[in-house]
Amino acid sequence: MSHTPFIVGAYLISAVVLFWAAIAPVVNKRSLLRQLKNRQTRMDKLQ
Amino acid sequence: MSKQATGTAFMALLRRDFLLAYRRRAELLQPLVFLLVVVTLFPLGVGPSPTLLANIAPGVIWIAALLATVLSLDSLFRSDFEDGTLEQMVLSGQSLALIALARTVAHWLVAGLPIVLLSPLLAMWMNLPDEGLLILIESLAIGTPVLSLIGAIGGALTVSLKRGGQLLSLLVFPLYVPLLILATSAVSSAVVDLPYTGQLGLMVAGLIASLTLAPFATAAALKLSLS
Amino acid sequence: MNPIFLFFHKTGSPPWFYKYSGKLIPWLWAVFLALTVYGLYLGLVVAPADYQQGESVRIMYLHVPSAWMSMMIYGLMAIMGFIALVWRIRIMEVLVISSAPVGAAFTIIALITGSLWGRPTWGTYWVWDARLTSELVLLFLYFGVIALYNAFDEPRKAARAASLMSIVGAINLPIIYFSVEWWNTLHQGSSMGSDGPGIHPSMLLPLLLMATATKFFYGANLLSRARLTLLKQDHRKRWVQDLLSKESH
Repeated sequence: MSHTPFIVGAYLISAVVLFWAAIAPVVNKRSLLRQLKNRQTRMDKLQ
Repeated sequence: MSKQATGTAFMALLRRDFLLAYRRRAELLQPLVFLLVVVTLFPLGVGPSPTLLANIAPGVIWIAALLATVLSLDSLFRSDFEDGTLEQMVLSGQSLALIALARTVAHWLVAGLPIVLLSPLLAMWMNLPDEGLLILIESLAIGTPVLSLIGAIGGALTVSLKRGGQLLSLLVFPLYVPLLILATSAVSSAVVDLPYTGQLGLMVAGLIASLTLAPFATAAALKLSLS
Repeated sequence: MNPIFLFFHKTGSPPWFYKYSGKLIPWLWAVFLALTVYGLYLGLVVAPADYQQGESVRIMYLHVPSAWMSMMIYGLMAIMGFIALVWRIRIMEVLVISSAPVGAAFTIIALITGSLWGRPTWGTYWVWDARLTSELVLLFLYFGVIALYNAFDEPRKAARAASLMSIVGAINLPIIYFSVEWWNTLHQGSSMGSDGPGIHPSMLLPLLLMATATKFFYGANLLSRARLTLLKQDHRKRWVQDLLSKESH
């Protein structure tokens, strides 16, 4: 049995999981800042 | 009520349920993790002997699925009951059975379908032979909707009770017994190359029966709980 | 004033932590990438295949560092959790809860790569041996901490509960491991990845490089998540407002 698909699979899955782990806070931070900024501009408009 | 309105109402309810489910997604993952943990406990409890695990695999996986489903059923109607939405739904004039069906469909999609999808992992842990895997998935695909449909009746009956959750398990487990017996028999038979289509056929019949009858029972139960 | 004391005092201040961790993060990522590229080059290209296992041994360069990280991070969570509970240091609470997803990710990688390593090498995707079972239980411990944190409405209370849970879990972990090992010998289960003869030096270097690389991944990811948590918790406070108005320019 060829070992290659297992090796490729292992590296691929590790890459995907690590990539997700690294990206998640970045994406969430951007959307959080966007949300807060929107709220801020809304508050400023009210005043 | 026109047919179009009923259809739109159904979709609207489904969409709402998905939105609510998405907001509580951490909560919904818990029964699934519970599923994984329970299955893990079995080898630890009975020993890792591959033949033993393979023998009890269909039963263990199905029992874990039952337990996980019951966990997720308790909150089926509870939050809507507590904030009065349920009452509004009853008063809305829409068919309550339809509302119950929509909620049940949403429940299956977020709680039952994941169990089906996780079953290959569980089969691997419990050493289920490859011949049984497909039948296991089929049995869960047919069976978990029935779990949701019948479970919804229990959920509706206990929604107004303070300790409803415990009572819910007591109510629905006996109702689940035929399903458990048929499903595990199907998988075990498939593993040793015995016929299993009979069992699956009966399960499909059960699915059709619950699909047509259970929503009405759930509706009646909801009206009862709200009265 | 004592500079060390001053340093610790400053890191306790969220805006200070936010600012300086932000500067540190790119460097951590850079080191991680450098070590990973070099380590994988050595591991995949230069190092030989194993005499017994063949090419699949190359999975080891992912599996072993991930398993080490999964345990190290949980241990760190327990230590930081202890500090957070005893001295009520908020930044420690934030670091505990920010570590959990990273630890869980490494645990998942360890489990999956271990499974994929096992199939071509020892014939099975999964076996209930001491190490794999303990690793799986560790994953459930991580899930528990994360679920516990998410269940609370109040963030500081949630973080303290998570810290307590980490400590309890960490104390239990060796006990769990030894009991599983004992259970394993009782039932004469087979072991995946036996400790064979010592590791060949040409394989040791890439392994150590990857092990070090994962630590930098943890550092960068941890700080990244900690900053996000601070923003979320402090979004009403002045320093976040100032940050927002600065960013829009």
